[in-house]
Amino acid sequence: MGSSSPLIEARGLTKRFGDFTAVDAIDFAVERGETFGFLGPNGAGKTSTMRMISAVSPVTSGTLRVLGLDPMVDGPTIKARMGVVPQQDTLDFELTVYENLLVYGRYFGIPKDVIKSRAEELLDFVQLQERRDSRVEPLSGGMKRRLTIARGLINEPELLLLDEPTTGLDPQARHVLWDRLYRLKQQGVTQVLTTHYMDEAEQLCDRLVVMDQAKIVAEGSPRELIERYTQREVVELRFPEGVELNGKLDGLGERVEVLANRVLIGTDNGDATAHAVHERGIQAESVLVRRSTLEDVFLTLTGRTLVD
Amino acid sequence: MATVAVTSSPLDRALSVTEWHARSYKRTWRATITTAFLNPVFFLLSVGVLLGQLIDDDQAALGGLSYVEFVAPGLLAATAMQMGANDAMWPVMAGIKWLRTYHAVLATPVRVAELVLGTMGWAAIRVFSAAVIFTAVAAIGGAITSPLAVLAPFAALLCGLAFNAPIAAFSASLEGGDDGWFPALNRFVLIPMFLFAGTFFPVSQLPDWLEPVAWATPLWHGVELCRMLTTGNVDALLALVHVGYLSLFVVVGAIVAIRRHRRALLK
Repeated sequence: MGSSSPLIEARGLTKRFGDFTAVDAIDFAVERGETFGFLGPNGAGKTSTMRMISAVSPVTSGTLRVLGLDPMVDGPTIKARMGVVPQQDTLDFELTVYENLLVYGRYFGIPKDVIKSRAEELLDFVQLQERRDSRVEPLSGGMKRRLTIARGLINEPELLLLDEPTTGLDPQARHVLWDRLYRLKQQGVTQVLTTHYMDEAEQLCDRLVVMDQAKIVAEGSPRELIERYTQREVVELRFPEGVELNGKLDGLGERVEVLANRVLIGTDNGDATAHAVHERGIQAESVLVRRSTLEDVFLTLTGRTLVD
Repeated sequence: MATVAVTSSPLDRALSVTEWHARSYKRTWRATITTAFLNPVFFLLSVGVLLGQLIDDDQAALGGLSYVEFVAPGLLAATAMQMGANDAMWPVMAGIKWLRTYHAVLATPVRVAELVLGTMGWAAIRVFSAAVIFTAVAAIGGAITSPLAVLAPFAALLCGLAFNAPIAAFSASLEGGDDGWFPALNRFVLIPMFLFAGTFFPVSQLPDWLEPVAWATPLWHGVELCRMLTTGNVDALLALVHVGYLSLFVVVGAIVAIRRHRRALLK
């Protein structure tokens, strides 16, 4: 296999469930060694795309090549070289942390002594060595997720798929997890992840596509997307319920988005815009100047927020 | 870059699934020990020995057997039915819907057929070991009169799988994850079979119109097969019919189960 060919390549990839189109003719390519993200709100088609890549969901139409192979034909071969971290952990609660790794390694036909040494290394890596012999059920959400990641690495995959890796975790657990994923990236493991958190996409992804309503609406690195679709900074104003602005904000910044009880003003100079707001005598509950994020990219592209 | 092929065989992969169930079972065996081992032995004691003493005046109706000799193979087959059936209900639903552990298996090179057959393999081990223990207890208690009884656990195994496979197919096709069907299946199918399909009395006792219904049940075939072996009254042709009928349930059940699992898991 040539090193230049993409690890994953999709052309017109489509998934339909009856009349419902979950993924609508998307094109993308994932290169070896990069961390690639699907960013979008719930229901955008991210999980359906991941399931097709992981060879458990038949492609409705279009082409998909994973590791140079067709998932519909060579599913088991692809799976032997891939690690999957599903949205729900799917661990066996009756088993211990260590046994979960042991059992899972056996599905790959890996000899027991090899699984044993790998399991010990992986437990160190995900910082679960102390919980090695405890059952899975009482573990915290972050620990379970780390165990699921260790499990996905038992076959030393070239490609790791992570579906919403930190959804439902507290901020500290998320940071521990991001740190581990960054270490994996340094070790050369290609990662594909879905998320509806813009900070996660910014932290982890070299490149990402923004998905909305089954389609890809933008593609690039986080920085490129922010530069292309937003201004450098955002002035965020909060207003009490029912305040009439009546055009008072006209001409401020480059772009004004009015949301339920806040207004976002995209601008190249946040401080100057904030000053102008003050000059006009606009009474906001709070005025915040911040850098633009992928959240603002999503808002620009779709007119909606990522997380409701 | 080196191409990594899938090195394991289908049998290896099916056995890796069986191994998972066995490891998982280590933690829960205490909860199931009553249904698997104690209940059938209690039944044998209460119905077979104690109630049987009141019935034994009329051994002709039981083909010359004492009641405990008559009922022991019935309980053997019925226990196999219960275990085979129950292993294919909630555990299958849990693997597909609740804990989604089957999805974890399918993220690996294990194929759906290997998952289903490996899981069935675990049910087979459970049914067979319970049958061996029950047969030994019955033999020690004097409820067995033929050395052919060493084959009875295999007959029980066939009977257990004749329920396990079709019910696994049924469980995998419950799209909505509605486990309300399982108590209904127990109440309206399995328990009536347990009570009326030859476990406790010859089906010739049933009203004439009901007797053919009993013949159609897989349990009756399992009971009759076990009874032939524990009593030594073997009719080779009838035995073949029983084996064939039960095997049909196993094979067709397994094929449909694989299809239904595929539909439920590979969407």
